Amino acid sequence: MIDKDGLHRTPFRPSRRQIISGMAALGALSCSGVRHAVAQGGPKRIVVPEGEFTPLPIAIPNFVPGTPSDNDVAVGVTQVITNNLKRSGLFAPIDQAAYIEHITNIDVPPQFANWKTINAQALVTGRMTRQGDGRLKAEFRLWDVATGQQLTGQQYFTSPEYWRRIAHIISDQIYERLTGEKGYFDSRVVFVDESGPAQHRIKRLALMDQDGANVRYLTRGADLVLTPRFSPSTQEITYMEFGQGDPRVYLLNIETGQREIVGNFPGMSFSPRFSPDGQRIVMSLSQGGNSNLYVMDLRSKSTTRLTDTLAIDTSPCYAPDGTRLCFESDRGGKPQIYIMAAAGGPAQRISFGDGTYSTPVWSPRGDYIAFTKQGGGEFSIGIIKPDGSGERILTSGFHNEGPTFAPNGRVLMFFRDPGGNSGASLFTVDISGRNELRVPTPGFASDPAWSPLLS
Amino acid sequence: MKVDKTLVASVALHVLVIGWGLVSFSTKAFESIPEETLPVDIISSDQLAKVTAGMKTGKKENPKPLVEKIAEAKPVDDAVGKISEKPPVVTDTSPPPVPKVEEKPVEKKPDPPKPVAAAKPKQEPKPIEKKPDPPKIDPIAEALKKEEKKPPKPQARAAPPQPPKPKAERTFDQAKIAALLDKRDPTRAALTGETLNSNASLGLAHGKATDNSATWGSMFKEQVERCWKKPYGGLESQNPEIVFDIKLKRDGTLEGAPIPEGTPATPYLRVYQESALRAIIECQPYNLPAAFFDEWKYFAPVFTERKT
Repeated sequence: MIDKDGLHRTPFRPSRRQIISGMAALGALSCSGVRHAVAQGGPKRIVVPEGEFTPLPIAIPNFVPGTPSDNDVAVGVTQVITNNLKRSGLFAPIDQAAYIEHITNIDVPPQFANWKTINAQALVTGRMTRQGDGRLKAEFRLWDVATGQQLTGQQYFTSPEYWRRIAHIISDQIYERLTGEKGYFDSRVVFVDESGPAQHRIKRLALMDQDGANVRYLTRGADLVLTPRFSPSTQEITYMEFGQGDPRVYLLNIETGQREIVGNFPGMSFSPRFSPDGQRIVMSLSQGGNSNLYVMDLRSKSTTRLTDTLAIDTSPCYAPDGTRLCFESDRGGKPQIYIMAAAGGPAQRISFGDGTYSTPVWSPRGDYIAFTKQGGGEFSIGIIKPDGSGERILTSGFHNEGPTFAPNGRVLMFFRDPGGNSGASLFTVDISGRNELRVPTPGFASDPAWSPLLS
Repeated sequence: MKVDKTLVASVALHVLVIGWGLVSFSTKAFESIPEETLPVDIISSDQLAKVTAGMKTGKKENPKPLVEKIAEAKPVDDAVGKISEKPPVVTDTSPPPVPKVEEKPVEKKPDPPKPVAAAKPKQEPKPIEKKPDPPKIDPIAEALKKEEKKPPKPQARAAPPQPPKPKAERTFDQAKIAALLDKRDPTRAALTGETLNSNASLGLAHGKATDNSATWGSMFKEQVERCWKKPYGGLESQNPEIVFDIKLKRDGTLEGAPIPEGTPATPYLRVYQESALRAIIECQPYNLPAAFFDEWKYFAPVFTERKT
């Protein structure tokens, strides 16, 4: 070893090897990414540049049952959380078989060395206890294995039948704490459930948790239902139904089952959407060969016309702040996406690619508009910024349609029909195009609409 | 039977040589000196320039002067007093008498009696000038005029001082050389300054000449990246940049918890910082070249997605 003082006091004389390595480095023009900057006065800075994104290894041992009878619910909650985090694509839950330590008491800090050994970076411990009053108490702690610190810890009380919701809420907490983003697990999806043979498909409106559990049917399937959409309060759904006559827009309360017709317009009405404040519904009404956009105040039932063209303006959607609308129009010849002020006025076209663009949906974050693009014999799901830049296709195929954003704007759900005699199913994909996953549904499913967060 | 002596000698000699070769080469194993491994990192010419700066062309970098003795405190300058003291300072430092000559006429201009008291040679040019301006018009313009017309004056003035010069002329006497010698004991004045600094090195420890961070920095980077689970930042680049100050022990383990520089402004930055912190802690001990311990015992890793 070179004496440390000697190293600094002797003038630098490059050895032959150093000269050779220096020459080699000179010859190589490619940059390895290591940058060296000398801070002013401070310690030397070594830049560690953009590592690849890797799912975070997380250990989720079974929650501890407060009493022996709580074991089933404790295991169930653990499985729901594990499944949620795994499906998000941002976490890599570690197989329980690898665990060294068995968590028996969540009130004492775990032995972090045991969790470091299996390369866990985060650890979730929890306990489910049935209270004397019949309620279920859920507690959890999220630990940083490297530093041994508790990142978050919460407890909740609920009715035992809502244990899945508790699991979703805990998942959201973990997701938010470890990614810096709001979660989306405590949310629901309304969709059109399809069953029966291809010639006689029965289409029913159905509701489920975002992970495909707790499916409930909202209509009986006598009439054709299309384009269900959640209200911001998550209590109501608008949808379109083809009954005996013209298609009508309905408003359905999912808790009471009450439904009412939204206005009685001449001609057909399509694509109803709630405004972000839940006070208005925007939709398109067709008269003759063209259709225009209208907004209806739900309280006063007064209707205002927003566009007046000879073209087909349809599929309106509100920006999350309610100031602007995106919609689809063929005023330029082919269906494309346009944006205009929520009160109407001149519209600006934002999509300019080949093919046609339809079913625009504004992200709850406001940063992107998702669409279905048809061209080259394929249907694709893509996103584009409201200013028309940054267009990217997330998935393409025989038939993909109907994108809807998760409450945090990070994930899209859409339906895909492989063609032939089989039917459509629901899929989720990250807005970067990663992690495409099928959502389990009892039968075929189409036209999904994601709810806002329930809590 | 007659044996050919040359054949015998040849055989014997061959046997001897081959035998010696067999013995000596077989017993002596081939020695390969184990080379010290040198991590090679491909860097750009720009980075090389940075690393090698100071090798040959670098300036002597020593911000603190070599000091052996702390200097006595200098008298504090009094700003108020300075103004009044200024004139004497100017006269003290003004070197030759020539500038004084220039100043004199300016002072003398307003004095009418002076031409009378002044030396006779001066009288000749001055009356000529002063006659036209009995009312003191513009002293500056006057001075300018004078300077234009002065060239003859200095010549006239320079002449009188010259005669005494020959008197002061030194004569070199070889016999008196001894008298010229400095008979004081040899002394050496200590280098004084504000703070003591006995280090006479060419540069400081953090000078670029001893910068080996290209070597150990890439080794550190390689190791810490294995543990870094970068959080997912989505499509929109938030350009995170998180800096830690870390101190390492000789065995490559952390001396203490890494200290983050600054507090993250957004939840994502906090998560980003935590992920980097996890990586630093999890990946220790770091295997870095011991020779450069002085450099990597304290440094600041920067975790970033920013591009230069």
